[in-house]
Amino acid sequence: MPLELLLILVVGGISAIALLLHLSGRSKPKVMTEPQARAAWLRQFPESPIADLTLARDGHAALIQTADDSAPLGLVWSFGADTVARFLEDAKLSPCKKGLHLRLADFSAPAVQLHLNQPEAMLWQGMIEGASAPQPQMQNQPRAQEV
Amino acid sequence: MDAVSFPDVTQLAVPIFIAAILGEFLWIALKGRGGRYETRDAVTSLIMGAGSVASGILLGFIAWGFFMVLWEITPLDLGTSIGVIILCFVLDDLRYYWVHRFGHRIRWVWASHVNHHSSQHYNLTTALRQTWTGTFTFMMVVRAPLVLLGFHPALVLFVGGINLVYQFWIHTEAIGKMPRWFEAVMNTPSHHRAHHGRNPRYLDCNYAGVFIIWDKMFGTFVPEQDSDPVDYGLVYNIATFNPLRVAFHEWVAIYQDVTQPGLSLKERLLYAVAPPGYSHDGSRDTSETIKAKHLARQPRDSGTPGF
Repeated sequence: MPLELLLILVVGGISAIALLLHLSGRSKPKVMTEPQARAAWLRQFPESPIADLTLARDGHAALIQTADDSAPLGLVWSFGADTVARFLEDAKLSPCKKGLHLRLADFSAPAVQLHLNQPEAMLWQGMIEGASAPQPQMQNQPRAQEV
Repeated sequence: MDAVSFPDVTQLAVPIFIAAILGEFLWIALKGRGGRYETRDAVTSLIMGAGSVASGILLGFIAWGFFMVLWEITPLDLGTSIGVIILCFVLDDLRYYWVHRFGHRIRWVWASHVNHHSSQHYNLTTALRQTWTGTFTFMMVVRAPLVLLGFHPALVLFVGGINLVYQFWIHTEAIGKMPRWFEAVMNTPSHHRAHHGRNPRYLDCNYAGVFIIWDKMFGTFVPEQDSDPVDYGLVYNIATFNPLRVAFHEWVAIYQDVTQPGLSLKERLLYAVAPPGYSHDGSRDTSETIKAKHLARQPRDSGTPGF
């Protein structure tokens, strides 16, 4: 097959399929309910049960505190029609117009745009930064496992 | 007989691929069942397919040169009769089985193949989510015996192309089960759905290209279970539609693992060639540990297919 014809077929075919899918509503991100967000987290991390879950108002993301207090916060979010989840290790957080922007130290999950209103964004920022801040060492204070 | 030439069937099939994808999408849209489509996922898969063809055009000379050297060496020439073409097709399918199995069990090869499994969807576009980096796995050596046995390199590549074209139609949820005799011998949508599953049960099963008999012969066959619907994608799903990241993410991960400080030479090597999930400190899960942990949570699955 001549290369020019192959190129036309490939570019034309991809464009036509993309247009058809978009116009038929196949571009909408998944909206999660709380049980769906829980299930999505456990689908990725079945050995990390959830202690607390905070679902974004738009249902596109949820912050996860696992039962393991020493584990970092987790995030489950809409990825097209599906979901993905990560622990927020080495995440860089920056407020933006739409809510919060997270950059992850993960080549296969480089960034997440969280669509949050202002009070929600402040709450989430506090939770994420609070969880990643170093905990003060208290003298003569028994450690959790010794209680 | 170096003037032997065969058509490039994968390129010729491009119009059929496009028409079939449109047909599958319309079927799903009209019937309301038989699979799912998502715009960015599908476009990423299609771009990966186009990139794979481009990679073949740009790098294909390496494998071709290797095969032609072998062809110069071998004293055997089986010709291109119909019988030889059929024999070559069957033997090449056996070659495919092992290359595919290596692709799931050797991280260096998995780094190339992983992108084919990186979609959480399973439709005809998923079939086209193909590697850009296959040349760098050096799996062309597994084809060497065919050439040395006297199958012309052009014939070997021709039957390999037919093999890939066959595998296109099995990437669908629109077809349930084929007739029993067909399911017994051939790779089918049902068998290949199981292969794409991230469920512990379906990890490392059904490597077949065309004939499912290889999995049955080598003990890797797991039938799709109605009681355990296939959850498509990777054990650790990626969160990017960027084709460059899809194509190279596992290569980057290998680089990061191999170059971390404090490892012995053996550990660095194992990060590159051990089964996916290997870690020097046991902090990650391989498919074996994932299955074992699943059985610890669900002991009743013990002894069922895949466990």
